[in-house]
Amino acid sequence: MKNVIEVKNLTKEYKQLRAVDDLSFEVHEGEILGLLGPNGSGKSTTINCILSLLDFSRGSIRILGSEMQPDAYGIKKEIGVVFQDVAVFEELNVYDNMDYFCGLYIKDKATRRKYIEEAIRLAGLEDFKRFFPKQLSGGLLRRLNIACGIAHKPKLIFLDEPTVAVDPQSRNNILDGIKALRDQGATIVYTTHYMEEVEILCDRVIILDKGRIIASGTNDELKQLARIEEKVSVETQRLSGKYIEEIKAFPNVESVDYSNGLLLIIYKKGKNNLTELMDYLKKEDIPYNRIYSERPTLNDVFLELTGKELRD
Amino acid sequence: MIVFKTFLKVLNKCKTPIIMYTVFLLFFSVFNMRTSGSSLSFVASKPDILIINEDEEAGITESLVKYLEKNSNIIEIDEDEDAIRDALFYRDVNCIIYIPENFRKDFLDKKNPEVRIKSTGDYQASLAELLLERYLKTANSYNETVGSEEELLKMLDATLSKQVDTELASKLDTGSLEKAGFYYNFTNYCILAGSIYVICLILSSFKNEGIRKRTMVSSMDYKAYNRKLLLSNSLFAAAMWLFYVILSFPLLGKIMFTRHGLVYIVNSFIFSFCALTIAFLIGNLVEEKNAINGIVNVIALGSSFLCGAFVPMEWLPAAVLKIAHILPSYWYIKTNEMMKGIETVNMETMKPVFINMAVILGFSLLFITAANVISAKKRRLG
Amino acid sequence: MFIHNFKYTLRILFKNKALIFWTFAFPIILGTFFSMAFSDIEKNETLDIIEIAVVDNEAFQNNIIFKEAFKALSDKENEERLFHTRYVKEEEAKELLEQGQIAGYLLLEDTPKVVVAESGIDGTILKQAAEEILQSGEIMKNTGGFGILEGGASIADISDSHLSYTMIEFYTLIAMTCLYGGILGMYAINQNLPDMGSKGKRVAVSPVAKGKLVFGSILASYVVQLIGMALLFAYTVFVLKVDYGDRLLLIILLAMAGCLAGLTLGVAVAAVFKADDNLKTGIIISVTMLGCFLSGMMGITMKYIIDKNVPLINKLNPASMITDGFYSLYYYDTLERFYFDIASLLIFAFIMTGISMLRLRRQKYDSI
Repeated sequence: MKNVIEVKNLTKEYKQLRAVDDLSFEVHEGEILGLLGPNGSGKSTTINCILSLLDFSRGSIRILGSEMQPDAYGIKKEIGVVFQDVAVFEELNVYDNMDYFCGLYIKDKATRRKYIEEAIRLAGLEDFKRFFPKQLSGGLLRRLNIACGIAHKPKLIFLDEPTVAVDPQSRNNILDGIKALRDQGATIVYTTHYMEEVEILCDRVIILDKGRIIASGTNDELKQLARIEEKVSVETQRLSGKYIEEIKAFPNVESVDYSNGLLLIIYKKGKNNLTELMDYLKKEDIPYNRIYSERPTLNDVFLELTGKELRD
Repeated sequence: MIVFKTFLKVLNKCKTPIIMYTVFLLFFSVFNMRTSGSSLSFVASKPDILIINEDEEAGITESLVKYLEKNSNIIEIDEDEDAIRDALFYRDVNCIIYIPENFRKDFLDKKNPEVRIKSTGDYQASLAELLLERYLKTANSYNETVGSEEELLKMLDATLSKQVDTELASKLDTGSLEKAGFYYNFTNYCILAGSIYVICLILSSFKNEGIRKRTMVSSMDYKAYNRKLLLSNSLFAAAMWLFYVILSFPLLGKIMFTRHGLVYIVNSFIFSFCALTIAFLIGNLVEEKNAINGIVNVIALGSSFLCGAFVPMEWLPAAVLKIAHILPSYWYIKTNEMMKGIETVNMETMKPVFINMAVILGFSLLFITAANVISAKKRRLG
Repeated sequence: MFIHNFKYTLRILFKNKALIFWTFAFPIILGTFFSMAFSDIEKNETLDIIEIAVVDNEAFQNNIIFKEAFKALSDKENEERLFHTRYVKEEEAKELLEQGQIAGYLLLEDTPKVVVAESGIDGTILKQAAEEILQSGEIMKNTGGFGILEGGASIADISDSHLSYTMIEFYTLIAMTCLYGGILGMYAINQNLPDMGSKGKRVAVSPVAKGKLVFGSILASYVVQLIGMALLFAYTVFVLKVDYGDRLLLIILLAMAGCLAGLTLGVAVAAVFKADDNLKTGIIISVTMLGCFLSGMMGITMKYIIDKNVPLINKLNPASMITDGFYSLYYYDTLERFYFDIASLLIFAFIMTGISMLRLRRQKYDSI
């Protein structure tokens, strides 16, 4: 697999603060890489360093095989960036905004027109071409922001929290659009602090906290990292202490908790945990309403790794 | 209370322009006061002249220079052609008098020497010419009949020192009134600009769509809320007025303790009220914050220029003054100007002043009505 | 690419209502106010016919010299007429004076006396006229009836034309517009700076050399500025009748140099200060207003006072150099002063450009 981006030992220090601390990772061609971390974890700083916007203290960055520099125009041509803040001209309408930004990449007018139309379709902005940014809703504005960044069909796309404060409909539209871009062959770096987005979108995830990588891998690999494997919940009334003690003695059981008629069993690993439990309940003739098993989410992983919730 | 508190916080944000207007007012008042003196006996106007004497300083030449020195202000300027030209253009001198070489000799030899002048063409320059002309005429006349230069000079001196007594009929302290008029005319700009700017900014903050919705759904009575807002704005206008009035006491001195001073104060109070109503009307009309700055400048500068706040009313073209009648500032400034010529303040002499004040109040009423009509229309979100 | 950015910068600038108001409309509005307020000032400063009264008593009737002289000075046919004279009783004269209908009156008893309402030019003229008549009588007596003779030493008026100082107000207005134009440059440049906002970041990651973009934006701002300036010139010349002298090419050269000075000031402010548009606009407006104040916008004597006492300040002040350039074209025949002003403006622009370059050249930032 070819590496589109290679980051080695990247360190960025502000006066007091080490925003990025000895970061090394690769981005493979054709994947969607999720950069996940709470606010202030160094996601945007990392991206700004990769894009040569920020000076960094140590390390090296190579994109598409060559070193990234502010005047590496050959590389820049292949990159599309969507920043966290909406970056469009209030004075220009939707089409002109896209034409301006796309025009920085593509000189030929006919090609440009074609590409812009495609991006407009992708972002679902067909009905708003002549609208000015002020007249757009928050979600539409975000979509325009994205469309401006990707209209020139870049091979490598950076999306820095593109869905912050977006309504669910626009959000789905945006996520579908990103998948479509990947399917067209683009490599995507996606930063977010929304766990669900990473789970449905990303092929690989890097979790950042305080400027350091605390974990990386595919969704499944990450979930492996967490000590928990399976959570089973049983809705049942009046369970006596005897049964609880017995369940605790089951193989693989990490912990058992019973309160308000809900029995929560956490397993470390193992395969037929749920079947074994159901057999036991049947055998002891314990009545229950509902029983279900959950796989851990990335949020659980994050909680496990950092000891804090992601959305704070 | 909470409305008022918030009001103060927003006010704090727009202190810079208010400080700026006040600095302008102070600067121009002090600048202006330095230039106008005050006296109760007649002081003849003296033109500013520059004498470039290429002749020797003796005899008739010396006498001419002395005569000019006595009747005008001699300005000293470097003998640099550019400096002299600039001085004339900027009215530092009204007239330059070139006394030619051998003036004395040629004059006594009756060779009819020529004294060249460069003037600005204004009345000060005319006065300088008048002085020079009289001297030369008198000298010419005696030159024909008198034998020696010595005798000529003696007779010239005797004749030219004949004076006409001049008496001031009015006991008005015109200098002080002039200053007071200037100061209060200038406050026209400060009060207008200050109140429109601040009140519009505050109204637009309070009327910001989100905030407005929030207050409309809050438990506070909408009318009470509006009343409080109005009261806060009035308090601000009153505070601003008071500030300018207090400031006028040290600047203008004892004139402010006379009846004249009282009229200036009352007049400015009424005008401040009118400015408040203008600000309210504009605040109700203008939605966009960005536009406020432009509107403030156009209205405040326009009213000030057209009504004589910066340039004395008597110097404005008649057509401009006609247009100015439709602006409240005109009636405010007119009162200030009238006060300069009114010797005793009593019910009889104040009649035209009361009329001016009534007109300003009429304007205020008009603005309030218009503001109410507009805000009633905008009451519902829509 | 250059043209692409140039074209769009033009559109962005023209679309921004606030920018266009301050750089296009505001100078025209202010110029109109100036014109309305100042058009009569100079006319008022020339000697008008003064309203006076003469107390028509026995002494006056018997004094032939005074009677004839006032008749001559009030004669409509006389080119050097000074007064419009009413011959009235003393009480009436007092009343007229109190009502402000006359500037003063002459009372002839044993000696002549002038009574006026206030110290001032009108009173002085009346006093001078009365004195002259008195002295003429003296001369008549001393010369044995010869009276005042024609001939002898005389006055030759060699006054310059182009002495209208209110023109300075309009020149400062042009200077203000030139410097306000900096707001355009500032706004255009700000869109290209990654540390000033996300649009700048977007531009910075594009495969276009920053220099090209910045130059395109600056040039577009300059074009917008020059269009605004052309409109203002047309308006002041054709509607307000402002006199710029008749050296058209030099006037255009000066306007272009002035705009350049303003533009580079704006660019420097954009490059040096890390702040939002509003604050930067505030800085440019403050610098402009201070510059215009020192070059005489709020009272033309200010420029003269500075020129005379601390000339260095005005040599550093672009507003003053622009004003002075127009002044020298209007009032001076020689061009040394004009070229000095132009050179000074160009040096100012050069320094501003240098400062901007130092800051704009950087490609990477410590923080954004």
